[in-house]
Amino acid sequence: MSTVVATPGAKDTKKKSGAGAMTDRSRSEDRLGMKLVAPAVVLMLLVTAWPMLQALYLSMFRYRLTAPDDREFIWFSNYATVLSDGLFWQDMFNTVLIMVVTVAVELVIGFAFAMVMHKVIFARGVIRTSILIPYGIITVVSAFAWQFAFSLNNGFVNSWLPFVEDNFNWFGGHWSAMFAIMVSEIWKTTPFMALLLLAGLSQVSEDMIEAAQVDGATWWQRLWKVILPNMRAAIMVAVLFRALDAYRIFDNIFVMTRGAQETESVSFLTYRQVIEQVQLGLGSALSVLLFLSVLLLAYLIVKLFNVDLAAARGEG
Amino acid sequence: MTARSSRHPRTRQLRRWAAPAGALTLACGILAGCSGDGSGTPELVWYTNPDAGGQAAVAEACSTDDYTITTQVLPQDAGQQRIQLARRLAAGDTGIDLMSLDPPYTAEFADAGYLADIPDDLQQKFSEQGFESAVQSATWEDELVVAPFWSNVQVLWYRKAFVEKAGLDMSQPVTWEQIITAASENDGKIGVQANKYEGYSVWVNALISGAGGQIATGTDAGAEAEITIDSDAGRAAADVIETLADSEAAPDDLSVSNEGTAGATFGSDAGAFLVNWTYIWGNYGDDQLGGDIGFARYPQTVEGEESRPPYGGIGIGVSSSSEHQDLAVGALECLTSPENQALNAELTGNMPSSEAGYAQPAVQELFPAELIALFQESLESAAPRTPSPYWSDISGAIQSIWHPPSSVDEDTPGESSDFIGEVLQGRSLL
Amino acid sequence: MKNKTSIGTWIGFVLIMIWCLLPVVWIISLSFKPVEETAAGSPQFLPKDATLQNYKDILANDDFTRALLNSFGIAMISTVLAVIFATLAAYAIARLEFRGKRFVLSLALAIAMFPVVSLVGPLFDMWRTFGLFNTWPGLIIPYMSFTLPLAIWTLSAFFREIPWEMEQAAQVDGATSWQAFRKVIVPLAAPGVFTAAILTFFFAWNEFVLAISLTSTTASRTVPAQLSYFVGPDPFNPPYGQLATASVVVTVPIIIIVLLFQRKIVAGLTSGAVKG
Repeated sequence: MSTVVATPGAKDTKKKSGAGAMTDRSRSEDRLGMKLVAPAVVLMLLVTAWPMLQALYLSMFRYRLTAPDDREFIWFSNYATVLSDGLFWQDMFNTVLIMVVTVAVELVIGFAFAMVMHKVIFARGVIRTSILIPYGIITVVSAFAWQFAFSLNNGFVNSWLPFVEDNFNWFGGHWSAMFAIMVSEIWKTTPFMALLLLAGLSQVSEDMIEAAQVDGATWWQRLWKVILPNMRAAIMVAVLFRALDAYRIFDNIFVMTRGAQETESVSFLTYRQVIEQVQLGLGSALSVLLFLSVLLLAYLIVKLFNVDLAAARGEG
Repeated sequence: MTARSSRHPRTRQLRRWAAPAGALTLACGILAGCSGDGSGTPELVWYTNPDAGGQAAVAEACSTDDYTITTQVLPQDAGQQRIQLARRLAAGDTGIDLMSLDPPYTAEFADAGYLADIPDDLQQKFSEQGFESAVQSATWEDELVVAPFWSNVQVLWYRKAFVEKAGLDMSQPVTWEQIITAASENDGKIGVQANKYEGYSVWVNALISGAGGQIATGTDAGAEAEITIDSDAGRAAADVIETLADSEAAPDDLSVSNEGTAGATFGSDAGAFLVNWTYIWGNYGDDQLGGDIGFARYPQTVEGEESRPPYGGIGIGVSSSSEHQDLAVGALECLTSPENQALNAELTGNMPSSEAGYAQPAVQELFPAELIALFQESLESAAPRTPSPYWSDISGAIQSIWHPPSSVDEDTPGESSDFIGEVLQGRSLL
Repeated sequence: MKNKTSIGTWIGFVLIMIWCLLPVVWIISLSFKPVEETAAGSPQFLPKDATLQNYKDILANDDFTRALLNSFGIAMISTVLAVIFATLAAYAIARLEFRGKRFVLSLALAIAMFPVVSLVGPLFDMWRTFGLFNTWPGLIIPYMSFTLPLAIWTLSAFFREIPWEMEQAAQVDGATSWQAFRKVIVPLAAPGVFTAAILTFFFAWNEFVLAISLTSTTASRTVPAQLSYFVGPDPFNPPYGQLATASVVVTVPIIIIVLLFQRKIVAGLTSGAVKG
């Protein structure tokens, strides 16, 4: 299977090192290693660590860019304001809801796609190309496409869907607008999920499946007892990646609703505070909270689902 | 155009890296200085809202032997325009000399010290030249801070056949209630701007002003301004929105409607009434929906009380960080001259901000004489949004509470009053 | 395994094709709708009166073609630089034992999930100070930083597949670690590097938040940001047909890359993330 060209035999060739004392050779290796990673590390820190520290500092001020004279040190009041605000929690709820729903749907559809792609023995290039187009397309473009599709004046969705009135305004209500946003998100990212799952699927040994079949297991039983457990690592990594990505949803909302109908996400709220309202103090507090919540989320997923990232990426 | 010829990114980057570090690098930052260092005439960079070429033509007309005016466009969305300018001005960016400002952000920019002073004689000239509403929205703390360039105003557009069927006499001022009743009884729709965006605040402001009220007063006090939206006028405005949203006259896309979608509703078979800016006249091709478009003064919020149509438009300000402040201030006179206001109107349909501009023959030909007269009359009594450095917060808070229109009821003004207060005090997220 | 394709698979195949291509066909169809049609509302899928006018307008729009050039340049340079840095780092991670390895990995992971929005404000101020605002490097540097984790991730997975005996053989022959890296490993690693480059390019081509926040003129504005600068006859709404056309135009390079390199992209996407 071409999707795993990179993986077979990895374990065998992987050198187990680290045992034994520091020799001259390992010392030079140590130095070389640090030199090689230095540029990447410096670059990554320059763009993230320093701005984050600055955000931490600014978050303790009442500070509005267009009223610099009113700048005032207020300790952690901004955090108190944010955390006690209904809007923040509502946006947090929206974000988590979008994350949970889209990842769950993507997982199911993505798995179905992966099964099909695994079975298809013709036109593999065609299907691979097609599935990569949503992945590669610009998110803003995908959001526009779906916004037009759902639009009351210019969209085809209303006339195609049998149970929807032709004059239904998708962006006029909270749930329908959220639905449209999620469709756009799911459309674009399901291929990514499908490809990750496909890689996992191709690692499940055919022998085991056949053995189960010989033992009289139904298709359903084979799926739940053999295939899925053996794909656990792949599924968890896919979920982790996609969940963190979905949690930061911004472009779709920016294009489709601009946060109207209470469809705002935490990222969008942060953007509005920092960029649109130039509330550098409050906005920085939100930035910090957003970052912390992403870390927390990653930690929770890794711990709760017991994702072994090191194993997943062959760290051993 | 000298700057444009050096657009090659590589070249520019090399130059930039070679230039002395820090502020100087910044100074020659964008397109301005780098290309023409030391030689030739200074270049004034004018940041404009995107249009069909009117401002670029005016810039060319006003370029002299002493300076060349070039234009750079801002994003299409007014909010985005404000963000981009504010961030750069706050950082003391010298790459902006002139800028086209939307009225609601003028006070904010002036208060933050982003706008260079306009000398008294010019202030007086511009004040005498412009419509009262244009001058009012260009003024902050008794100083004229931008030069009114073009002025927009909303009027009531109607389908002649429809009002005939409904039996409504459009030669008399009509109220919102009248048109809502007429439209809902005859299966017509009323186009308004009620998406969650600045245009919705424009509508709310016009309704409140039309009932003799104001959203806020004492805005000179900045965040301590007195919020007066919780008043009879506020409730009268809420009543209009509630009535429309609950009626058959509300278009399906009411909660996401803007100028363009409202225009499409009006052009459709169900179209009956529309409140919209001047440009919409040219939106229906030569046919004008078969000559079916009529126009009248903006509807009254309260019967018998003169309506206060929404005011929009553009004023031109000079950046206080500009290195060519004197030249730029001097250029204002040419940029906003009646002739150039007319040139801009001719190319874009954006109407002049002065009687003298309207008097230009080119402008008189743009619209039928009665429509021109209506625009002018409306501009005389138009209600600008309350100038306040915190207008974007006030407006955002209004949108947040008043949207969607179907949620508006008699308690809405009170709620929004409290919320605006909290937002201004930094106690609530917007 | 059965060699016959079952009917279910066929149906699945067709569904996948519809899923992937319908919105693309839709946006293409929109791009052929004339301005008058979209302004008046045209809910039907196909244009009533197809026109090439939008394409003519877009390609005659200097700001748009300029944005295309910016997008290409910025994405290309970010890709090349990010891949060089990532190759060095991934080699070290895959092959060498050194202090701080865990730190690098955690850092890469943290940055891979960093909310870009929370950086916009501070980065704006930094770039003003350094004179990088509204320049190519002003976008290239953050794009590199955000693509490095993915590139390092993908590349280190590829590097583990390389037959390292050859490197060791070279070292026995007297080559230093560095020479062994350059002479033996680089050629072998080239396919992986190529894959990482494509994924990096996609990211830079796609990025929106930084592009709208750190640029102000056509000097550096990229296509996703340029989309909010279109103006048509209605001053309050973007011209939908032109937006769709611009969307089609920027999607063309993606489709070409996908057509040419689909096998490599799939391999790259999956190798980094899944390891049985």
